Amino acid sequence: MKHYLDLIQISAKQHKKQNRMTRLCIVLAVFLVTVIFGMADMEIRSQMIQAVKSDGSWHAGFLVDEEQGALLKARPEVEHIARYGVLNYHLRDGYRIEGIETAVCGFDKELLEMFPAAELTEGTFPENTEEAVLNESAKTRLGVRVGDTVSMATPQGEMKQYHITGITKDTALEAEHDAFGMYLNTDGFSALRPEETKSAQEVVYYVEFRKFCNIQKAVREISAQFGLEEGQVRQNVKVLMLMFQSQDTYILQLYFVAAVLASLVVIAGIFMITASMNSNIARRTEFFGMMRCLGATGKQVIRFVRKEALSWCRTAIPAGIIAGICMVWVLCGMLRCLSPGLFEGLPVFGVSYIAVAAGMIVGFVTVLLAARSPAKRAAKVSPLTAVSGNAGTVQAVKRTANTRIFKVDMALGVHHASGSKKNFLLVTGSFAFSIILFLAFGTAIDFMHHALTPLRASAPDLYIYKEDYTNQIPSGLDEVIRKYSGVKRAFGRGYAEFTIPGEGSTLIVISYDDQQFEWAKDSLIEGNLQDAIDGKGMLSVHREGNTFAAGSNVTVSAGGGEQEISIVGTLGDVPYSYGVDSNTDSMTGMAVCSEELFRKLTGEDGYAVLDVQLNRDATDSQAQEIRKVMEQECGGSVAFSDKRIGNKETKGASYSMSVFLYGFLAVIALIGFFNIINNIAMSVSARMREYGAMRAIGMTVRQLNRMVLGETMTYTVFGVLLGCVIGLPLNRVLFQNLVTSRWGDEWSVPGWELLVIVFIMLGSVCLAIMGPVKQIKKMTVVDTISRE
Amino acid sequence: MDILQTENLTKYYGEEPLVVKALDGITLQIEQGSFTAIVGTSGSGKSTLLHMMGGLDTPTGGSVVVDGQSLGKMSRSELTIFRRRKIGFIFQNYNLIPNLNIYDNIVLPVELDGRSADRQYLDNIISVLGLDGKLDRKPNKLSGGQQQRAAIARALITKPALILADEPTGNLDSRTSQEVVGLLQATGRQFHQTIVMITHNDEIAQIADRTIRIEDGRIAEGRWQG
Repeated sequence: MKHYLDLIQISAKQHKKQNRMTRLCIVLAVFLVTVIFGMADMEIRSQMIQAVKSDGSWHAGFLVDEEQGALLKARPEVEHIARYGVLNYHLRDGYRIEGIETAVCGFDKELLEMFPAAELTEGTFPENTEEAVLNESAKTRLGVRVGDTVSMATPQGEMKQYHITGITKDTALEAEHDAFGMYLNTDGFSALRPEETKSAQEVVYYVEFRKFCNIQKAVREISAQFGLEEGQVRQNVKVLMLMFQSQDTYILQLYFVAAVLASLVVIAGIFMITASMNSNIARRTEFFGMMRCLGATGKQVIRFVRKEALSWCRTAIPAGIIAGICMVWVLCGMLRCLSPGLFEGLPVFGVSYIAVAAGMIVGFVTVLLAARSPAKRAAKVSPLTAVSGNAGTVQAVKRTANTRIFKVDMALGVHHASGSKKNFLLVTGSFAFSIILFLAFGTAIDFMHHALTPLRASAPDLYIYKEDYTNQIPSGLDEVIRKYSGVKRAFGRGYAEFTIPGEGSTLIVISYDDQQFEWAKDSLIEGNLQDAIDGKGMLSVHREGNTFAAGSNVTVSAGGGEQEISIVGTLGDVPYSYGVDSNTDSMTGMAVCSEELFRKLTGEDGYAVLDVQLNRDATDSQAQEIRKVMEQECGGSVAFSDKRIGNKETKGASYSMSVFLYGFLAVIALIGFFNIINNIAMSVSARMREYGAMRAIGMTVRQLNRMVLGETMTYTVFGVLLGCVIGLPLNRVLFQNLVTSRWGDEWSVPGWELLVIVFIMLGSVCLAIMGPVKQIKKMTVVDTISRE
Repeated sequence: MDILQTENLTKYYGEEPLVVKALDGITLQIEQGSFTAIVGTSGSGKSTLLHMMGGLDTPTGGSVVVDGQSLGKMSRSELTIFRRRKIGFIFQNYNLIPNLNIYDNIVLPVELDGRSADRQYLDNIISVLGLDGKLDRKPNKLSGGQQQRAAIARALITKPALILADEPTGNLDSRTSQEVVGLLQATGRQFHQTIVMITHNDEIAQIADRTIRIEDGRIAEGRWQG
C-alpha cells in the first residue's frame, strides 16, 4: 500500500457484498436515466419520422415572389429550397377531371425530398408543362396508367391535356376527402397559373435550413429582409418542435414538462444512492473511527468516501448504460412490431448518444452529490468509537420502541423503521415519490385516450355522409353493408337541428343505435343511459357553458309544433363534431337520442351518416365495392371519406406515445420496486449483529422475520399514505387541467392506477423480505455476535 | 445434582494437516447452584466452550447435556426455545437492544416466549441489582456497569437452568468489575442460579466456587475454592 487511498481496494475486497448493493443502486439509477432519455430520444425520432411522413421535412415556408425567392436561395443558412404551389386546395374551385374536383400542385423536383409522402410509386417526375403525376385514387377510379392522357377542366371552361408520367400515393387529406390529386412541375404549374391568377395562391418557397442553424433567428431575419407579415411565413411546427427549435408557447410548456420529468428521475436516483450509501457508511462507523484514531483528518476521510464512491462508478455506470441501451432496443423493437409500416425508420440497434451522456453525467453527479452527506458523517466519527468498542452495539437513539401497542418483535420492527426521523423520511419519501410520479403521469394516459379520437372503439374507417346532412341514407343500408366481406361493423346516425323557442338557440340532435350507445357508456357523466336507449329522453352533450342538466326538460320546435323532451343524462363528449364546430354560435347545444325517438321527433327514417369499420386485412378493392353499393343506393350526393391512412398515422403516433408513457410508468414502478428491496436489504444487513444478540437470547427465526416484516410494512404503509396525500391532489389538478377543462369528465380517484402501484409495492415488500429472511435463516449466532 | 455435563467435547476447525483444535476432549460436570469460573489465556478455547454449552455452536464431537436434555439432539428451532427458557446469556459488550428501554430489554426473553414477567420476581431482581429508577432509560444513557447489571437482570428473568457469562467484566474498570461479579454471585445465590463465567482475570475468578483452567482446548486444572 503506497497511499492511504489504496485502502479502498483492500476494503472493497472485505465488503464485497455490501458494496455490491451500493453498486447495484448506481447501476439502477444510471439505467433509469439512460432508459428515460433513450426512450425520449427514440420517441422524438419516431415522432420525427411521423411528422416528416405526414407534414414533410421542410422547416419554414415563405410566400415570396420570384426575385425574393432567388435572394432566399442565396442565403448561407439555406440548405435546400423548393417552390410549391397549390390550386383548388379546398376542392371547390372547379378544377375537375371527369367531373371530380382535383387538387393541382406544382413543385420543383427537389421538394420530393422534403415531402416523402409525395414519393412516386411508379413512373417519373414531370419534365415538361404537358406532363403530370396522378394520385392512386385518381388512377384507380379513372382506370388510367402511366403513359395515358387525361383532360382536366378549369373553372374557365378550358380543357387541358396532360400526359401521365407517374403515380404517387394518396395523402391522408386526399383519402379523407376522396379527392383527385394532380402534380405538375413548377413550369407546368406556372403555365396553368397565369390564366387563373385570381383563384391561384402565390408560390410558397419551402426551405430546409442547415444543421445547427438557429432557425427562429433565421426566420426573423428573412421576414425582416423581405418585409413579410405573419401570414406569409409558415413553419413546420411539429418538426421544429422535435428539433428543439420552436418557440411556440405550448411547445415550450412541453419542454418544461420534459425538464421536470428528467429532474424527477435524477432526484429519484439521488434518493436511492444516498440511502444506500448512508447505510453503507453507517455500517463502517468503527472503521472510520479507527482511521481517525490512526491520524486521518476529517478531510482525508471525506476524500476516502468520495474516491470509494467514484471507484464504484467505474463498473456501475457502464453496466447501467449498457442495460439501458438494451432496454431501449427492446422498446423500439416493440414499436416496430406494433406498427411495422410506420416505424421502419427506427434503427434496430440505435444508440442514443444523449441517453448515454445523460446516464454518465447523472451517474457521476448523483454519486458525488449522494456521497456528500455520508462523507461528512464519516468524517465526524469520533476516534473514541473505535477504541471504546461500543460502536455498533449501543447506538445513540432518541427514543425507544413502544412495546405497548405491538408485540416486542413487531414493535422493534416498527421502531427500526421509524426510530431515526431522517432515515424514516428519506425512505418513506422515496417510496412515496414513486406513487406520486405514478399518479401524476397516469393522467397523461387519460389525456392521450381523450385526445386521439381514432383510438376510440367507435372510430370509422370509411365515413360516408350526405353532403347536406339530410337523413337520406336508407336505414336498412347498414344491414346490407355489414354483409360485405372485409366489413367489421356498419352503423348509421341521423342528424337534425331544432330551434329552441324563446331562446333563439339551436339544438343538434343525433340518433344512436345500440352499438353507439354501448360506446357512449364510458363518457356518461351523469344520468341513465338505459332511459335514453329506451327512448324516454335524450342525453345532452357537455359543452362549456351550455349543458342541459340531467332531469330537466327541453322544448324544441319540431314537426310544426313544440315538443318537450326530457334530458335523461349528460355525455362528456361525442366523437362526432359536425355541424357544431362549423357553427360559431356558442349557444348551439348537442344531444343524443335513440333512433326511435329520433323518428318520432323528425318523422325521418334514414341516416345522414354511415360509418363503416373494416377488418384489419380488408383490401382497397373491398372498400371500393362498398363505395359502389353506396353510390348505387344513394345516388351521387353521397360523399365518401376514407379515414384509414389518417387513422393509421394517429394510431402510430399514439403507439409511440403509449410505449413512452407506459414505459415511463413501468420505470417509475421499477424505481419503487428496487428502492424497497434495496432499503430493506441494507437495513437488515446493518443490524445483523443486533439480530445475532437477539437470536442468542432466544428470539426465533420467525420472530426475527416478523420484525423485518414490521419494518418493511411501516415504510410501505407510510410511503403509500404520504404518496396518496400528495399524489392524489396532484393527480386531480393535472386531470382537471388536461381533461376536465376540455372534455368535462369529472375527476375520480384513479383506482386502477392506485391498485397497480400499491400492488407493485406490496409485491416488492414480499420480495424484499425474502432475501433478509434467507440471510437470517443462514446466520450463525456465534459468528454474528463475535464479528468485527 | 449436575445441571450441565459435557462428554469428550471437541471442536475442530480446518482439515488435516492444518486442523486447529479449539476444544480437544473436554469432559466436565457443573453442579446445580454453583458458580464456576473458566479461565484461560486468549485463544485457549474458553469462549468456544461457552458457546457449545449455550447451544450457540455445534461441536465436532462429544455431547452437551443441560438439565437432562442433550443439545446435540435438538433442531435449530428447538434449540432457540431451549435457550430462551433454560439459558441466560451475559456478554462482554452487554448486547442490549439499543431501541428498547431498560425495562423492555430485561423482560425481552419472557416476552419473546409469549409470557409475561413474574412481577414480584422482577422487582426483586431490579432492587438487588440496583436498577430502580433506571427502567425508562435508554441503554446508551447508562454507564457500562449499569448496562451490565441490566444484562444480568435479563439473564435472570427467565429463571434459567444455567447462566453463561462471557467475559462480563471485559469492558469494565476493576472497581466496577468487582462490583458486577459480586452482584452476579449474590444474585446467583439468592435466586438459586447456576453460573458459568469466562474470564481471563484470575482475581475475578477467585470469587467463584470453582475454577477450571483451559489450555489449548483441554482442561489443565480444576479446583474448588476454599
